[in-house]
Amino acid sequence: MTITKIDSPEIMMSQVSMCYKTNSTEVLALKEVTVNIQKGEFVSLLGPSGCGKTTLLRIMADLLQPTSGEITISGGTAKEARLARKYGIVFQSPVLYDWRKVKKNITLPLEMIGLQKEEREERAERLLELIGLSKFKDQYPWQLSGGMQQRVAIARALAIEPEILLMDEPFSALDEFSRERLNEELLSIWSKVGSTVVFVTHSIPEAVFLSDRVFVLSPHPGRLSKVVNIPLPRPRREEMRNSPEFYQLISDIRQSFEGV
Amino acid sequence: MKWQVYRSRWVPTIMLVIGLLFLWEFLSWLLLTLDVPLAQSKVPYIHELVITFTQYSGTLFSEGSVTLANASLGFLLGAVGGIVLAILMSLTKWLEQLAFPYAVASQMIPILGLAPIVYGIFRDEQLARILIAAYTTFFPVTLNMLRGLRSAEPSSLELMYSYAAKKWTIYTRLRFPQALPSLFTGLKIAAPLAVTGAILVELMGATKGLGVLMLRNLYYGPSHNYMFWLTVLFAAFLGIVSYFIVTVIERIVTPWQPEFRKSGGDK
Ligand SMILES: Nc1ncnc2c1ncn2[C@@H]1O[C@H](COP(=O)(O)OP(=O)(O)OP(=O)(O)O)[C@@H](O)[C@H]1O
Ligand SMILES: [Mg+2]
Repeated sequence: MTITKIDSPEIMMSQVSMCYKTNSTEVLALKEVTVNIQKGEFVSLLGPSGCGKTTLLRIMADLLQPTSGEITISGGTAKEARLARKYGIVFQSPVLYDWRKVKKNITLPLEMIGLQKEEREERAERLLELIGLSKFKDQYPWQLSGGMQQRVAIARALAIEPEILLMDEPFSALDEFSRERLNEELLSIWSKVGSTVVFVTHSIPEAVFLSDRVFVLSPHPGRLSKVVNIPLPRPRREEMRNSPEFYQLISDIRQSFEGV
Repeated sequence: MKWQVYRSRWVPTIMLVIGLLFLWEFLSWLLLTLDVPLAQSKVPYIHELVITFTQYSGTLFSEGSVTLANASLGFLLGAVGGIVLAILMSLTKWLEQLAFPYAVASQMIPILGLAPIVYGIFRDEQLARILIAAYTTFFPVTLNMLRGLRSAEPSSLELMYSYAAKKWTIYTRLRFPQALPSLFTGLKIAAPLAVTGAILVELMGATKGLGVLMLRNLYYGPSHNYMFWLTVLFAAFLGIVSYFIVTVIERIVTPWQPEFRKSGGDK
């Protein structure tokens, strides 16, 4: 399968391997993973627990150096991309700062890029509205439930309208309803901002609903076992979750797991 | 509702205190009737203490405020010094390796020995008091501040890293606020120590302060026994007050700390 394109991909990883070494053991978390992600594309990393999804994401974010292999982000190194503040990251845990109230947590990255106060406030208010936590803006993080905290973390990542959005199971702490609503919200933001999104999830329906392509990883060692195109039209709508194509894609992906 | 909660919490405490006071009075009476030598120096009557206090409270407060003022100045000096040293040590590993052994060793010098030396050097009782108070404050503050600065979680640091934050920004946005609870632990240990330090220097020879009062009343013997006891109690009271003041400031500065979180229910 070839995609005709003029530019080189936004994220290019070739033959990336990651081996965690501790005193006594070595864990091969990733083995020769090669992925190309286009600018503005929405891809999901799907796989069972421990197959190296977080590891892969952290390598993309320049938070981890791979043992071997090449990685290129918009033509440069991952470090250059990080220094240029291209990333918005949602970690697997919320990582909110205890001493900052909800709104101040969201404005943190905006302070870092040196935005004026009014602009910071305005963006924070808008995002609070979006995640449905306007009423909680002056609370401390520990006064929020786990799912609410995670929503704040998402708002914080979106605040700088990053070129590359890396999300590690952002909705796993949410109930089914909030999750589906935020799925749609995420897509609507994405269509406006045009970020390249790498989205880690355990949920097959979620991956299918959101993505242009789903990268299926298999464990021990973590490898890229399959890439599934999702040809569903955009904008994606809630009704599509009930379409036969949707179910077909889900069962295709599920089968690829059984082969593992 | 609220009142009941308070009452149920306070009643046992008050009962306990009253009980202890009665026990003390009884013991005092017992020693006197048994003709134990210097009975009142060992366990003085509380009512006598109260009477003495009403007579001499003015003196106690005026001398106490001199001590407290010197202790506070020294405490501030020591706290600032400790914080600065901790920041420098956290910034540069070699400075920590260089300075830390000296900081530890400095704590091995007994204040009782150091005080006359400092006094001998500066020949100024005020300055000597401040310096000794600073000296006692300095170490617990440095130690706790350094630990606090190091306590930032890897994930919190990673977030900063992902923003390509400068070293100093990481300090202002993450490490300093994160270090505050630990810093306050150090300050709470140090505050009463500063008071004790200041009193100690006063014992070495000064013209004003609680230590002077203490020494004088000890010197005059049994006739000033109640006053001596009162001075000691008042010194302890100052220590508690200093601790309490730091606690109040802590609550204002770091309302987000787990121990200040309301557990829910009552507002
Ligand atoms: N810091 C580390 N040191 C040693 N081994 C690690 C470390 N981090 C991850 N691993 C190992 O690497 C493998 C992949 O871990 P990773 O966190 O990437 O999995 P994951 O796919 O994100 O799992 P989950 O879905 O549970 O989050 C695991 O087997 C794990 O034990
Ligand atoms: Mg993970």
